[in-house]
Amino acid sequence: MTTDADARDQLIDLAAEFYDQFAAGQIPEMELPTRTKSNIEYDEESGVWTYGDRTSVRSANSVNGARKLLKATYTIEFLADQLGEDRSSTLRELYYLSESWDNDEAQFSNQDESNDLVEDLEIVTGVTREDFHMRPEESGATLMGPLRLREQTRRGEREIHCQEDVGEGGYQIPNNPDMIEFLDHDIDFALAVETGGMRDRLVENGFDEAHNCLVIHLKGQPARATRRITKRVHDELDVPIVVFTDGDPWSYRIYGSVAYGSIKSAHLSKYLATPEARYVGIQPADIVEYDLPSDPLSDSDVNALESELEDPRFQTDYWEEQIELQLDIGKKSEQQSLASRGLDFVTDTYLPERLDEMGVL
Amino acid sequence: MTSFQSSLGENEGIAEELAESQRQISIAEFFEKNKHMLGFDSGARGLVTAVKEAVDNALDATEEAGVLPDIYVEITEIGDYYRVVIEDNGPGITKEQLPKVFGKLLYGSRFHKREQSRGQQGIGISAAVLYSQLTSGQPAKITSRPKGQSEAQYFELIIDTDTNEPEISVDETTAWDRPHGTRIELEMEANMRARQQLHDYIKHTAVVNPHARIELREPGLDEPWKFERATDELPAETEEIRPHPHGVELGALIKMLEATESYSISGFVQEEFTRVGTKTADSIVDAFRDRYYGRELAWSPPSTRPTVTDAPDAVETAVETAVANKGAAATAAFAAGVAETVAGTDHLSRCELVAIVDTVAEEVADDTGRTFGSTVRENAVDAAWTAVTGVDGETDPAAEDAPLVTDLYALVDDATSTRKDDATVRAMAEALARRVAELDGDAFRITRDDLERLVVDAASFVEEQHDATFGETARGNVVAAVWSRSRTVPDDPPKVRTVAGDRDAAADLLEAMRETDILAPPTGCLAPITAELVEAGLRKEYDADFYAAATRDAEVHGGDPFIVEAGIAYGGEIPAEGSVELLRFANRVPLVYQRGACATTDTIRSIGWRNYGLDQPGGSGMPNGPAVISIHVASTNVPFTSESKDALANVPAIEDEIELAVREAARELKSYLNKRRSMQQRREKQDVLGRILPEMADKVSEVTGRSRPDIDGALARIMNNLSVERELEDGEVRLLVENHSNTTERPEITDIVSIEPTDVSAGSVVDMDGEWFIRWEPEVGAGEEQQLTYTVDDDATFEVSVGGVETEKLTVNT
Repeated sequence: MTTDADARDQLIDLAAEFYDQFAAGQIPEMELPTRTKSNIEYDEESGVWTYGDRTSVRSANSVNGARKLLKATYTIEFLADQLGEDRSSTLRELYYLSESWDNDEAQFSNQDESNDLVEDLEIVTGVTREDFHMRPEESGATLMGPLRLREQTRRGEREIHCQEDVGEGGYQIPNNPDMIEFLDHDIDFALAVETGGMRDRLVENGFDEAHNCLVIHLKGQPARATRRITKRVHDELDVPIVVFTDGDPWSYRIYGSVAYGSIKSAHLSKYLATPEARYVGIQPADIVEYDLPSDPLSDSDVNALESELEDPRFQTDYWEEQIELQLDIGKKSEQQSLASRGLDFVTDTYLPERLDEMGVL
Repeated sequence: MTSFQSSLGENEGIAEELAESQRQISIAEFFEKNKHMLGFDSGARGLVTAVKEAVDNALDATEEAGVLPDIYVEITEIGDYYRVVIEDNGPGITKEQLPKVFGKLLYGSRFHKREQSRGQQGIGISAAVLYSQLTSGQPAKITSRPKGQSEAQYFELIIDTDTNEPEISVDETTAWDRPHGTRIELEMEANMRARQQLHDYIKHTAVVNPHARIELREPGLDEPWKFERATDELPAETEEIRPHPHGVELGALIKMLEATESYSISGFVQEEFTRVGTKTADSIVDAFRDRYYGRELAWSPPSTRPTVTDAPDAVETAVETAVANKGAAATAAFAAGVAETVAGTDHLSRCELVAIVDTVAEEVADDTGRTFGSTVRENAVDAAWTAVTGVDGETDPAAEDAPLVTDLYALVDDATSTRKDDATVRAMAEALARRVAELDGDAFRITRDDLERLVVDAASFVEEQHDATFGETARGNVVAAVWSRSRTVPDDPPKVRTVAGDRDAAADLLEAMRETDILAPPTGCLAPITAELVEAGLRKEYDADFYAAATRDAEVHGGDPFIVEAGIAYGGEIPAEGSVELLRFANRVPLVYQRGACATTDTIRSIGWRNYGLDQPGGSGMPNGPAVISIHVASTNVPFTSESKDALANVPAIEDEIELAVREAARELKSYLNKRRSMQQRREKQDVLGRILPEMADKVSEVTGRSRPDIDGALARIMNNLSVERELEDGEVRLLVENHSNTTERPEITDIVSIEPTDVSAGSVVDMDGEWFIRWEPEVGAGEEQQLTYTVDDDATFEVSVGGVETEKLTVNT
């Protein structure tokens, strides 16, 4: 973990680099890995996907490039000041804050721009945005299961048991999960669930208690904090992780980002991805086997599946087989479609059978 | 001389009608009937036309006299009338010439000339005089002062409308401030509703005649409108040329035939036309003979036909039989000679056979001393011809194996597509054979027109009888094949006098001239404005950012040479709204009416202007934007859509040249606009980066806590610039020239130093009153740098200036 002082130094070093480029009569520039699908590579050592060798240069050589670098210097100043004062802010706040800067050219035109810039700075400085004290907007997801932990809050330390000390909603994962210390647990496996509806179904049916399962709610495409805590649960508590999502191409990407890392944050894959995480379902094979209610694949679904076939992260026998099967049957199903067999079907039949097959139960 | 040729028929009509009118109707009546044709159909238009005719005349008169035109136009309101005054500094007019020039319709020095000039029929100015007289009752008041005369002469001139005879009613000397020139004053019923056209006409005249000074005063102008001269160069003098054979019409040709002193057609065409020498004359005469006499069909000799081995040659036998009383040896030699020569030809016509018989008869006569007289020769020809053609008046010339059918079958078979079935081809060959055998005489002589008719007839017969199709293409092919198989006859062409008296023969001659390939006419008769002066003219009247012009090489249309020129002015003060302004000129005369009907407008509309950087809604039609396009067509015969000469006719050859000329100028416009755009982008980039980078440098220095870095080097690099930077160390001056662009640059660098420099690297030093000018012209390749050095004592002051590089690309930091 990077200290605030280290993070601050890294930022100022980057500014110094621009300074030196100016002083040498050169055009300031910043070199970054190319952030596209074609430039992510499998890292044998860690088992995750990270950026390859190809790089792109952000140079002040063009009007756009110069504006980007100007914004970068303003953002560097802001982040350095924030760290110096031990404050934090959200990505959205950064976007609005830029309005207060004295220079119109430095203001962000939309939030995607400021988000991207913070990611650029993460990559170049090797410091995560959490260590810049930057928070995402969305609240973190939740945990429910036999786990006791200690959280370092601004209002002192809290010890929490993620079944006994929380309500039905479960334990809210903080923005920087590295502030958490795991104390004690009874977990046999962790189940990461895509949708809130399914997560509530599992909790209502007492699945966590029945199987000593830590239910992690992913809330769609998981936030970094969710992915980070998933990795820590796996690495530190040594429990298997399984991912339970809808049966469509977008959900496979959710699994992909949990297990292999996302393309946008591939620079943090080693820190966020859990390559050992395995996919429970809904598999295309399940749609056939359990004769689940389904929707036909739309054109964009088909495109997404085809693009996944070319995604290096999905180039395994298992995924190729599943995706081709899905293209073949032309159908997709949601997690909740299991309710067509009764509300308890998922906890009594589907999950036990699947987890048994996978050797988890 | 311009439209005279193409509309000569009409002019003739006018002349005849005019002659008649002197007896039957008054000239006033005639004018009344035809005023729309002459441009006087309304008071508004009449005024413009009067000015136009007078100014055109004035320009022509001054140019012919080699004087730079200085023209004054004044329009004043006098009660219900308008008075038009036009003055020039031309050679003046003598009293004898006066009535003819101003008073009589259809008089003009240019009327019968074939050269480029403004006035086209000699009808305009006299029509203006007549119009003024008819509407106001006032005489034309003319002041003239020929060069070198101490006093000017004042005349008043009235046209007797009953006799079309001008009368000079007043003739007195007067004082005039011009040393030479002509002034004409006309009073007429008119109005100024066509002010815009008048202004356009004057302004455009100034554009297209940059050598003229023109002044206009009219009631609507607060102060006179003056157009100054942009060049002292008079347009090249034009020379008159004889007509080109491709440019005459039947009526003109007959007149020329009647007037010529030549006896033979060959002499006539060589004498009276341009670009016709002996060789071309021969081609014309051959083509004329083909039309006048027709050609003779040629047939294959009997020796080429399949026959019984060792059978005697049919020609030889026939000739031998036909010759009597010439002795066996001579007869045999004669027959053998004829037969051998005939067998040596692929095909022969009767004329050729006659020539062969004559030649052989002479040879045999030389060898044997036996004379073969004309009767004998004729008999021999008849006999041999029967042997060749098989037409003897008894056997069927269209029988299946008749020689005519065999030859025609081969021709038709070759000429038609392979898909024609054999029976049709054979039927066609037989039908043709039957018809050619019926031609008058036995020489198978036929003109092409008759041949066409004959083939059509045969084809429809075949179609009817055999239920086969023999379409137009097939017929055309057969005609072409048969025609090329036939021979031009050696008969002497008729004499000029015969042709002159025979309209059909003259038409044949005209067609022969048109069909013969003849060199394009010489272009000395044209006076293009030249690209340079087209541009100067635009530059003079339009305050624009960019000018381009192009002059094409001369081309020919219908025997008349023509040249197209185009110019474009862009940007500056030219209004950006609406479509571009189009200036149209024919022989240096602006065309102000009927823009929409003009070939120039059509051509501009058909060009894709977006490609050249002009806005064009919908991708066709008149382009929009701050541009003026001018088009000038100079020709000995400008084809107009009508007699009022307001619009160019859509002649493809001329439209093509207009397009090429406009595109040539437009290409320059395009590269200018592209360059301007990239300059603009460069400037924008420079602006933005020039603002952002210092701010970034400030911020960086703030964050790092260091002093502000020097960013000039980075800036120069970003701009793809040429940067010139001074470094000064211990009295040694270094000018660092860095080229950050991607092309080689050759800046001209001058450093002005207050103290004498020493050790100057390369460069030259000039002492100018205590200041030293050091001058370098280094060649700096793309991405390279050079150092220019010298040494001075301390305390020197410097001032550097850099030329030879666009300022946008230059960063000087010294």
